[in-house]
Amino acid sequence: MRASIAFASLCRSRDLLRGAHDRRVSIRQAAAAAGMSPFHFIRRFRAVFGETPHQCRTRARIDRAKRLLATSDRSVTDVCLDVGFTSLGSFSDLFARRVGVAPSAYRRRVRARVASSDGVCAPGCLTLMAAAFATFEKRGRPVAGRLPP
Amino acid sequence: MKIKLTSIMVDDQDKALRFYTGVFGFAKKHEIPVGEYKWLTVVAPERDDLELSLEPNVNPAAKAFQEAMFRQAIPLAAFEVDDIEAEVRRLKAAGVGFTTDVTRMGPVTIAVCSDTCGNLIQLYQPAKGT
Repeated sequence: MRASIAFASLCRSRDLLRGAHDRRVSIRQAAAAAGMSPFHFIRRFRAVFGETPHQCRTRARIDRAKRLLATSDRSVTDVCLDVGFTSLGSFSDLFARRVGVAPSAYRRRVRARVASSDGVCAPGCLTLMAAAFATFEKRGRPVAGRLPP
Repeated sequence: MKIKLTSIMVDDQDKALRFYTGVFGFAKKHEIPVGEYKWLTVVAPERDDLELSLEPNVNPAAKAFQEAMFRQAIPLAAFEVDDIEAEVRRLKAAGVGFTTDVTRMGPVTIAVCSDTCGNLIQLYQPAKGT
């Protein structure tokens, strides 16, 4: 079984958009790298990755910003520029909309959580089950895999 | 010991719920908030005692694994269908991206598509009588 060549190209173009090679790439350039017209590229990209190339690039930038805010001492302005935004205002707005808090507040929150060390940053996922069924039990609902009434 | 539950990692639980119910056609069984995430499971409409958990993929190690498998075009789950030609036609019409079109592989016929949440899914139709 061999996946289509277009699929491999889409994966590579996603790397470009996410800055995996540390380059700032436009959607048009990413489409050209995949050997597709921008229109065709956006349609195929969305079908495979569940988001448009633009959304993908923005999400990657926000993710990188979160990482830098959590782990580096760069100022919010520097982080904004580092990840590829040019306006601090639009970066802060976008960050707040996506993450729920402003960049500086996010930094404080993450550091407080790490310091207290009781918060689980990356839950082992099936471990959610116990907490979920505990919630069920508290509400007096049936447990162990049965549907709620 | 029974197998009643299996799971797949997804990059966004809400998006996954929309895709797995709205596009694949499964039914939601559990959606219980747990902190930032949810205990979220779906079942096939005709068989609700086998659950698939849509797990939030937030662990960096799991993300790296999922992405590497995706890049190598390796499916992380397989769902059986009765009529693969019809199913693939239906999914394509719904905008689903396929990496492998309907392919006969010995006694089984397969196709591989993206679940838009970071995974490739293999659909398969076993030979009659197996």
